[in-house]
Amino acid sequence: MRGVLASAILAGIAGAGFAAQGVSREAAVSNPALARQNWILKCQGCHRPDATGTPETTPAMAGIVAKFLHVPGGREYLARVPGVATAPVSDAELADLLNWTLYRFDAGHVPADFKPYSAAEIGKLRKAPLRTEAPAMRAALMTKINALAEGDDT
Amino acid sequence: MAIDKITEALTRRVAKTTSRRSMLTLIGGAITGAAAFPVLPVSRAYAAANPAHGGGGVAPQPTGNPQDPGDQASCDYWRYCAIDGYLCSCCGGTASTCPPGTEMSPITWIGTCLNPADNRSYIISYNDCCGKSSCGRCLCNRNEGDRPVVRPQENNDINWCLGTSSAIYNCSTAVILGVALEK
Repeated sequence: MRGVLASAILAGIAGAGFAAQGVSREAAVSNPALARQNWILKCQGCHRPDATGTPETTPAMAGIVAKFLHVPGGREYLARVPGVATAPVSDAELADLLNWTLYRFDAGHVPADFKPYSAAEIGKLRKAPLRTEAPAMRAALMTKINALAEGDDT
Repeated sequence: MAIDKITEALTRRVAKTTSRRSMLTLIGGAITGAAAFPVLPVSRAYAAANPAHGGGGVAPQPTGNPQDPGDQASCDYWRYCAIDGYLCSCCGGTASTCPPGTEMSPITWIGTCLNPADNRSYIISYNDCCGKSSCGRCLCNRNEGDRPVVRPQENNDINWCLGTSSAIYNCSTAVILGVALEK
């Protein structure tokens, strides 16, 4: 499992290195209409139409979700959270849905060198879905994200 | 004497050509047949005329819109294809609004239903109305697309009164969110 993860992380880093000039939203999402419909059918019920969520049960994603792409492990986390990994859609549709979500709800934080999730990457990551450890992992990543933000301010 | 002979011949023939188990087969067939009666169209026609759920003594609420056919106070109204609960139409609200004094849950479960008028699927959000005790009228339990509780986001058996000031369930609505993409 660790080997798979490590290689996925490496692939992600290498990929980010190759995509030097960033990717437009149009290039990242092949079927925006379907991605939006999947968002409505599979995500919106709990995350709310504007992705603001509910603090006790469903963390907010609006203005936050793409920040995870800035810290190590964040890219993998986004594909392994239970709601994403177990969503009943194909790898290709899930990759599209995740890429669409990043641009739709947090375009401002999508890194300039962001390499969109591919079906193959999603297929690999979703095989190791997070369970009860998801909140702890999210808290750890948020600590890193906040540290990053403080570093930017100074 | 002749009757004796005829009876004997008949009895012997029956004994020779049939097995004792054939009687069990006959009885078994009759029982199975009786169980199949409810699935016959006759029985369904009767159930449609005398609904076991839906209706509930509430006057029909036709939409009056040919593009939105049916009776919103009846369980077989097209938008209720995946609902599980009391119809707000029967509880002082409508198919898309909550009864006075209740609060609509922003957290909801969402599915699709086929509109018989245009044969297209529509995305339907089953927002629960919360804050008053159960309405108790027009219980409607249709489960198209319903998934087990291990997929809570696609299960309608759980209480969706979440994100509201009260978690007490009153009734369910069926709000149209949009037209689903052609598959």
